[in-house]
Order: sequence, then structure tokens, then C-alpha cells
Amino acid sequence: MKIEEVIRTVNQMKADDVIANYAIGGAVGATFYLEPVSTLDVDIFIDVHAMAGSSIISLDPIFSYLREHACKMEGEYVIISGWPVQFLPPTGPLIEEALARAVEVDVQGIPARVFTAEHLGAIALQTGRAKDKARLLQFIEARALDRSRFEEIISRYGLADQWQKFQQQFLGS
Amino acid sequence: MNFDIEQMVRSKQAFRRRLANLPIAEKLRLLDAMRERAVIIREATDRESNVVHEESTQYGTTKDTTHG
Repeated sequence: MKIEEVIRTVNQMKADDVIANYAIGGAVGATFYLEPVSTLDVDIFIDVHAMAGSSIISLDPIFSYLREHACKMEGEYVIISGWPVQFLPPTGPLIEEALARAVEVDVQGIPARVFTAEHLGAIALQTGRAKDKARLLQFIEARALDRSRFEEIISRYGLADQWQKFQQQFLGS
Repeated sequence: MNFDIEQMVRSKQAFRRRLANLPIAEKLRLLDAMRERAVIIREATDRESNVVHEESTQYGTTKDTTHG
């Protein structure tokens, strides 16, 4: 069971042109900036090629590739090195931007693309479940966010009201 | 054993900072270890059918942040 193997596999998918680009998000992405927190899966956001002559995006080539590489499918997950991995195309402009502006981090010689802390914080605010709020609080308490860059993203994506409510609810401001 | 709550909070924060400052490869190994443990626990609780499944994240959706 090794996340490093998941990263290696996704890098190979990119090298083999199965995906155009990727970035790690969710709890595993947050671990690049915070203390590790137990999680059940790995969220990999992907930029996929549209089908030839069409604007339709299909995940079939990804799943076929992974099946050929002996990965098992379980519901919406692909099992890579014992980890359930979810491949997620961007569902909105915030995630599209997060994917485009992800940063490369060296994991003992393996390059890993990860969302920036500010984008992870903004996505947590937008997603808005209890555990997302807890994650955003962790980012704030750990001073892992560049506050002005974070607030600039928040205002561009229409999340100012949620941010204000969050601050009232959790930061007493 | 010291029951000074402020001291406990400070020491907890320091521990979290130490964990956050570990090299990323080390942090990922900790995630691997936590998942291995979670799988063992889940298999045990699955047998008793008291299972709480984590919902998949619905990215790109906005929830009201005033409640919950």
C-alpha cells in the first residue's frame, strides 16, 4: 500500500499521453501542506484529451489503460497499490484553475503535481461539508495559506459570502 | 503526568507542527500506515455490519456554510 506508487502510475499515464495533466487534491493534497490526516481515498484531478473530432470527454481510455496495467476497478474507484483512487475531471472553473496552477513537488525523486494550498482551501470552502470546513481551519491554524492570494481566489469565484460566514462561525470575526 | 490544560494544548500544537514539517515522503508513508490500520478496522466492523461509509466528495458544488 503506497501512495508513491499511485503518483508513479499517474506520472506514467501522463508520459503515455493517457491524460494531459493531473493534480492531487483532497486530503492527500492537503498533506503536502499540513499534518497527515487519515483518508480512505486519493483524489486525482485530471485534464483529459477530448475525443478526436469531438468536444466530448471520455474517461474510458483511462480505465482501459489502468485495466491493462492490472489495476482493479471498484465502483467509482480504481485500486492502485492498495489505494482507492478517484479520477476526477474538473467540475467547474475553480477546479479548472486549480489544475492549471498546480505546483510540482519532489517526493524523493518522484515529481508530484499538487493543488496549491490556496486552491485547496478555496475548494474546501466551496464544497462546504463539515470535514471540508475542518480542513480549511487546519490550513488557517497552520498558517499554510497566503491570505491575500486565498482571498483573491475567493472573491473571483463568488465565495465571499461563504468566507464571511465561515469566519463568523469559526474565527469569531 | 501534567494536567495543565494549557500546557497540553501547547504540546498538542507543537506535535501537529512537527508532523506538518516532516518531509513529504515521510508524511505519505504515515498516510499509508493510517490507511492500512483503517482497512483492518473496517474489515472487523464490516463483519458486525455497523458500517458508516464516507460519502464521495461532490466537487464544484456549493453547500450552505451556515449550518452543519
